[in-house]
Amino acid sequence: MPIVFPSLAFFEALQREMRTEKDRFSRLGFFDTNFGIRVLPDGTGKSAEFVLGFDVFDCVRIAEGVDGAETDFVIEGGFPAWREMLDNIHELGSADTAHSLNTLTHFGEALQVRYDDPDGHDKMYRFAESIQEFLDLSARIDFTYPDGSPPPARREKLRRIGT
Amino acid sequence: MSYLSTVDFAEDRAFVDRFRQTMKGDLDLSWMDVPRERVRCQAQNERRGLTFRDLDVGSYGFTDMPELIRQNRSFAPRGAAMPAGLPDLQAEVNRKSEVWAYNIEGYYEEAMTRQWNATTDIPWAELQAVDLPEDIGKAYAQLLTFLTEVEMIATDVPCKWLGRLNADFFEVKNFIATQAMDEARHAEIFRKRALSTGWGLMRASAQNEFNLKFLRDADSFAEASLALHLQAEGMVLTLFRFSEYISPTDGDKKLFRLVMQDEARHVGYGMQHLKWVLDHFPEKRELIHHHLDEAENFVFGGGYATEVMEPFIILSGKGLKKENIEQGVRITLAFQMKQTDEYFERLAKCGMPERRDRSRLWKMLELNKQALGIAS
Repeated sequence: MPIVFPSLAFFEALQREMRTEKDRFSRLGFFDTNFGIRVLPDGTGKSAEFVLGFDVFDCVRIAEGVDGAETDFVIEGGFPAWREMLDNIHELGSADTAHSLNTLTHFGEALQVRYDDPDGHDKMYRFAESIQEFLDLSARIDFTYPDGSPPPARREKLRRIGT
Repeated sequence: MSYLSTVDFAEDRAFVDRFRQTMKGDLDLSWMDVPRERVRCQAQNERRGLTFRDLDVGSYGFTDMPELIRQNRSFAPRGAAMPAGLPDLQAEVNRKSEVWAYNIEGYYEEAMTRQWNATTDIPWAELQAVDLPEDIGKAYAQLLTFLTEVEMIATDVPCKWLGRLNADFFEVKNFIATQAMDEARHAEIFRKRALSTGWGLMRASAQNEFNLKFLRDADSFAEASLALHLQAEGMVLTLFRFSEYISPTDGDKKLFRLVMQDEARHVGYGMQHLKWVLDHFPEKRELIHHHLDEAENFVFGGGYATEVMEPFIILSGKGLKKENIEQGVRITLAFQMKQTDEYFERLAKCGMPERRDRSRLWKMLELNKQALGIAS
């Protein structure tokens, strides 16, 4: 049974991958934040929501649902935007210049960052590299989307320039 | 050599005799008899290690530190016995409210574990393998020149104040030391990247330097912190995120993610410090407004200088053609609004929501929004 994005199993797989990279994440430093992921539905229907909790060097909590959870910020976007990001990571091994989390969220063009407390919001930047490397681990996961289609197969990463 | 010892120790009979006695094994041991508070400190979270928070115990701790440090004028570590005759080292900042921040000990520990290395953590060979087009390369080198200038003064400011803070503010001093290291590394990485583009360092910015001089020459640490940590670094944090957004290569993206981490931590200290001040000394509110009035004037003049703005326009529009410039202007305006919005958001969270009504910078933002037909 393949892992599907979005699902709890997808983020649990990311959590497992992070634990195999203990040295790498320890080198990046303390990583203390709880944040939410919200995948908005196409049209009507329910959002898929997850809370990811990080403590010291580890992902310590993965749960479904954002309501009632204490989060520093929630990253929200339509399924196509999440899919484009994950496809890019899967194809290249890590996000390229157009698909880093900061780039996708900066002006809220593809993904939006929701928050009540600017101090909590700033944690997205205090731990920016850890969050990006966590998301980049999705390149290692075999998963499919709800329609059964997989992300593109890996190819050599292109060095793109922004012109 | 302006400070001379009042004693020539080699000629001091009593000192030399005591030294000889000690070396013969006749120990004084009076320091062993000083009554001391014994404490038990252990890591509350073993995965995290022994932190400053774990040391917040008894007379060694920081929670019960008074607002005014009257006793310790020396380098005696907080909690140590202070014998008669310690020198007065004339610390200039002796009020806790001038330096303290909620979670200061946490910011320090985070800073220590999240240090990185500009020489080895960036894929320099990959970066140098990419030839940037002339307009992009020059604009990027100009942006990096501006950022190097900014980070050099951002190194000088914490260094200037470090030795002036009372030794009892141990956790703050250590945090400020990490900030100085962070900023020095930022100056290093921007200089290295400017030179590695092949275009080298471009033009220094007079207007920007006036702003930096304002930061450096603040009359008190509280003023310096307000202008540096909260206002300038808050705006630079948004700028780093924008720079990541417009970065031409993957390696440059990583570079900006690493510097933004440090910057966000400094902003965190600035916010928690301002909150502390307003919670404990609400009467300082008006002084803070006055200082922000001038700080905002300088930041507008410095941050919006042509040699700062134009590289943003070229980089975000991805070139110098008319359509690139038009696109670049749109994106840069959006960045400026975001930068200003986030600055006022932080002030509001710290307890100054009224700042928007007083600020000329906010009024300019509102005018910009109206001109662009954007609702507030």
